[in-house]
Amino acid sequence: MINQTENRGITSIIIENLTDGLLFFNKENKVSLINPAACRVFQINKDDILGRKIDDFSNFEKLSNLFYLLGKEIKEYFKKELEINRDLILEVTSIPVEEKGDKIGSLVIIHNVTREKMIEKMKTEFVSISAHQLRTPLSEINWSLEVLGSEKIGKLTEGQKEVLKKAHYSNKRILNLVDDLLNVVKIEEGRRVYDLIPVDFENIVQSVIKLYQEKIRNKQIKFEFQVPNKKLPKVNVDTKKISLVIQNLLENAISYNIVGGMITIKLENKGKEIEFSIEDSGIGIPENEHKNVFQKFFRAENALKKETDGNGLGLFIVKNIVEAHNGRVWFESIKDKGSTFYFSLPVK
Amino acid sequence: MENKNKILVVEDEKTLRFLIVQSLKDDGFEVYESIDGEEGIKLAKESKPDLILLDLLLPGMNGFDVLSQLKRDSSTESIPVIILSNCGQEEEIERGMKLGATDYLVKAHFTLDEIAERVKKILG
Repeated sequence: MINQTENRGITSIIIENLTDGLLFFNKENKVSLINPAACRVFQINKDDILGRKIDDFSNFEKLSNLFYLLGKEIKEYFKKELEINRDLILEVTSIPVEEKGDKIGSLVIIHNVTREKMIEKMKTEFVSISAHQLRTPLSEINWSLEVLGSEKIGKLTEGQKEVLKKAHYSNKRILNLVDDLLNVVKIEEGRRVYDLIPVDFENIVQSVIKLYQEKIRNKQIKFEFQVPNKKLPKVNVDTKKISLVIQNLLENAISYNIVGGMITIKLENKGKEIEFSIEDSGIGIPENEHKNVFQKFFRAENALKKETDGNGLGLFIVKNIVEAHNGRVWFESIKDKGSTFYFSLPVK
Repeated sequence: MENKNKILVVEDEKTLRFLIVQSLKDDGFEVYESIDGEEGIKLAKESKPDLILLDLLLPGMNGFDVLSQLKRDSSTESIPVIILSNCGQEEEIERGMKLGATDYLVKAHFTLDEIAERVKKILG
């Protein structure tokens, strides 16, 4: 059996050898432990920092940012991104340490994510540059076909016009796909982070529904919008983005529905959350494909057959936006019966 | 036609320039063209166009720099400029409008006819 002292020995060896940086602040917010990984990341000597108060960190070039993040009182964080400079990006976790209910200090864990972030950035830049480069030749084709179609430079036969129309349509589809790619990139990199303002959620849903009234009528769909009697509390959202979420869900419910089917949108107050649900009587999603529904470019087999136009990005975008609002998204679906998609947003 | 409106097109991509110039000529405009920013500024001062269509990604000086120079120069500041680019990020649009562009069109989203319509609308 390993005794207490030996155990302590092993623990300190483990801490010394951890690849993540560790700092422990005691009750007075003074550094009482720092491991080599943390020293390496911040390029400091252990002896220069042991016993120092967090306030003193502002005197060290690379530690000052950590101090501005944690503050004098050492705030709690979970995997908070901290950019020290362009070549050093960290993920900081800060947790209070308790012994028998008393706080004895704070543990700060430093995880270096520079490499991951660089790769992410390169990927994003690559996609956005290639998308942009694609747009130029596509615009050229688009405009050239337009000129031909206008017959400004020569009459066309009916057959030629037909071919031209098809080419124009296909070209337009590629252009749309490029737009979608750019949107995905933007959403992934979180560049459109969110002006969250408290809004009346019901109003947003109403205004999206308005946009689709004609489509709903054309397909003779029985549409219902249910709201609770008691007014819903306001939620903090980016109106434009959340509208896009509802649009995508409603569009799916219409596109994959049967003629004369039904759609019900329901809003519910769940205390800490507002829940949105949209139920349809459409083609549903085969069970073996449920796990892929929110992945980008995924399209269920039966959806591919029904609608050739989709691009498999709608629900991916939905998930990203809802999660950026600290909300959740999920669904229930039975093939040939219909689907219900839900998302919830936290109430402040 | 008397008093033809004059348009300056600053665009480095040959095919795009050809198409847009041709389309504007067909609509009865007198069109000047340049393939980069420096030449574009020179032409703007000399020929005093009624409107400028400006690309952003140009060899040498970029479109934003061209725009801010045009807006700083008293002889060109009042000429309306439409940015016609395939860059369409929100921050780029914002930057262009802040620098004084009258409109911002993403090439891939507009037909030649629609662009001509915008031009006519601005020229009233």
